[in-house]
Amino acid sequence: MSVASRARLDRRLTELGIGLLSAVLLIWTLVPLYNMVRVALQGKEDVFSSNVFPTAPTLDSFATAIDESYWLLENFWGQMGNSLYIGLTVAFLTLAIGTLTSFTISRMRIRRGWMLTNAALLTYAIPMSFLAIPFYSIMGKYGLTDNPIAVIAVEVTFATPYAIFIFKQYGASIPLELDDAARIDGASPPQIFFRIYLPLMAPALVAIGTYALLLSWNEYLYAFLLLSSDGHITVPVGLGKFLNSDEAPWNYLMAAAIIYALPPMAIYYAFRRKMNSGLTMGGVKG
Amino acid sequence: MSRLSRRHALAGLGATGLGAATAVSALRPRRARAAEPVTVWWTQGFYQAENQAVIDAMATWEKSSGTKVNLTIMNGPDLISKMIAAMQVGDVPDLVHAVTGDRFLVPRAAWDDKLVDVSDVIATQQHEYHQTALESSKFYNATLKKHSYYSVPVKCSTMMEESWRPLIEEAGFSDKDMPTTQDAYYDFFQTVQDRLRSKGRRIYGLGYSMATKEADAGTLFHAFLVAYGGSGIVLPSGKLNVDDPAVRQAAVTALERLTTPYKKGYVPPGAINWGDVDNNNAFFAKQIVMTPNATISIAVAQMEKPDQYYKQVITQGIPAGNDGKPVPSLLGVSPCLIPKGAKNIDGAKALLSAFIQPNTLNTYLKETRARYLPVMASIIRDDPYWQDPADPHRPVAVEYGLIRPTIPWWMNYNPAYAAVLSEQIWSQAEANVTQKGMTPEQAADAAMTRIKAIFERFQIA
Repeated sequence: MSVASRARLDRRLTELGIGLLSAVLLIWTLVPLYNMVRVALQGKEDVFSSNVFPTAPTLDSFATAIDESYWLLENFWGQMGNSLYIGLTVAFLTLAIGTLTSFTISRMRIRRGWMLTNAALLTYAIPMSFLAIPFYSIMGKYGLTDNPIAVIAVEVTFATPYAIFIFKQYGASIPLELDDAARIDGASPPQIFFRIYLPLMAPALVAIGTYALLLSWNEYLYAFLLLSSDGHITVPVGLGKFLNSDEAPWNYLMAAAIIYALPPMAIYYAFRRKMNSGLTMGGVKG
Repeated sequence: MSRLSRRHALAGLGATGLGAATAVSALRPRRARAAEPVTVWWTQGFYQAENQAVIDAMATWEKSSGTKVNLTIMNGPDLISKMIAAMQVGDVPDLVHAVTGDRFLVPRAAWDDKLVDVSDVIATQQHEYHQTALESSKFYNATLKKHSYYSVPVKCSTMMEESWRPLIEEAGFSDKDMPTTQDAYYDFFQTVQDRLRSKGRRIYGLGYSMATKEADAGTLFHAFLVAYGGSGIVLPSGKLNVDDPAVRQAAVTALERLTTPYKKGYVPPGAINWGDVDNNNAFFAKQIVMTPNATISIAVAQMEKPDQYYKQVITQGIPAGNDGKPVPSLLGVSPCLIPKGAKNIDGAKALLSAFIQPNTLNTYLKETRARYLPVMASIIRDDPYWQDPADPHRPVAVEYGLIRPTIPWWMNYNPAYAAVLSEQIWSQAEANVTQKGMTPEQAADAAMTRIKAIFERFQIA
């Protein structure tokens, strides 16, 4: 066998190996999602059948979730509204606090600003779940139990340090000369912040905004601990009620879960490009 | 051990009337206190009507008392976690109904003096209550160094056995062929599996959880423990009794009898990771012929399909011992409790006293579709619903839960046993046999060593 043929064979074997590995990883990743859709498309009785494909696929479960016509879904859209309210508020506050802090530290060059960034990142040394009881206690003292503000406060606390870190790293790629030029033209710090800093930070804002939204969108522990009444709970807590019964209608649960997954997916795909550049730029200084 | 006979129940009713009425009236909140609302956390029911019955009962009381009720219904595990957090920080509701509270909440909270003594509420229905339900509501307070009522029984249940009649018949048997004693009963389903498999069916004869999570595996282990003579694992004095050779042998036998079918392939392999819902699902999918369950919820789930409910699903109580003598059922009692620090204790007691009126309780319990049983004699005696002979499931549950001998769980004697259940020590012992190659003797001894260590922390004076 000539050298060229051997090289061709090696290349083909490599490609075959990569193809096989990719296929396995793809199946591994997609099977849970496929199962989710499969269960949602089946009737209650067929949910635990061993059929790979639904025998009589139906969209009834989705209709039930949309119509709120099953008792555990009777406030589904209200819960969706709560999730959205909490998610958007968390995203907004995280962006506001994160950008203002990073601007103050890196653009206004305050002394020992790095200490603030590092101190904020220290909060990640303690897992979120460990702080559940202290947070519950604090919110109780402030009279904020069963109040969405409590969940918002907690989520913002956990999202902000990462936001400050990314914004600070990303902001370092924006030349300081722009600020100096604006200052010579008479711009005040707020004007520099709103007219120069924020527009140039757009990719990082999108990335962190989406991150903060998803963090609160998928959060369960604090939402269930701090919220109680049906009028305040979020969708994850509402869906958790399905698991109370030993005859849970999994098809409704999966249909509702798929619907709940759509807004973040839409947001992700809408801002995909900006997100990618925001996250990668945040990781490389200069 | 107690027995609730119909005669006993009749005798109790008359004596109760006057006293109960007096006590309830004493607990009724005065109008002057009406301004303070009562905050209630209630475990979510399986059915919408079950929740609605609670909402209606609260609304009725609200109207009659003039006191507002802030009712929150949440799922069981969440409620327990949330209550533990609430008690830690002292921001608690006034009244709580936690279905698994008898295991995971009340024993430790009573020990730590975090619950209000509700003996006065119990007194309003003292003579109505099933004796085991009453025993199940007494817990030890380590601060006050005494046992007292720290929970009010609302409903109860015992382990039942569910099986598919068509599958048993397909294997060439009938109901009459089903043995009635412990070992023979469980062996029977292994024979059924062999016969069905020989016909090409991919099925398991037995379907029980062997997981180290949730409640089902622990419930079954303890039913086996009692069946093999281990009911004295904790003495009524609260003293641990695992060194009793009879108890040790019962534990070893229970482990051996539960793990051997698994190792031989008579239990689905996935059962080592089953949640409480999974045996139900496997049963509905006819992947298993029989399954033990903490209530009759499996049969009840088929209620809207008359053929399945009345003809295909068989409900039985636990088998007799191998000697043919009846084995007492462990009675799980779902309690209501009032945490210390509650803002309206009087209101909570008044609401609870109204809720446990037999009529109110019966209306609520019927909406559970008999998944849960009444804890009072007059309810099953006065309402034919509970012992309707046309129903193949409900009267069986009543028979085993309320009429035949029952015993309380051991955390009533010592809260250490609640920790034993929380740590899933016996389920872990099963896993040690099935997955780590231990013998049942080794696994039992390891479990008992751990249990002794836990009991060291809970010394009853």
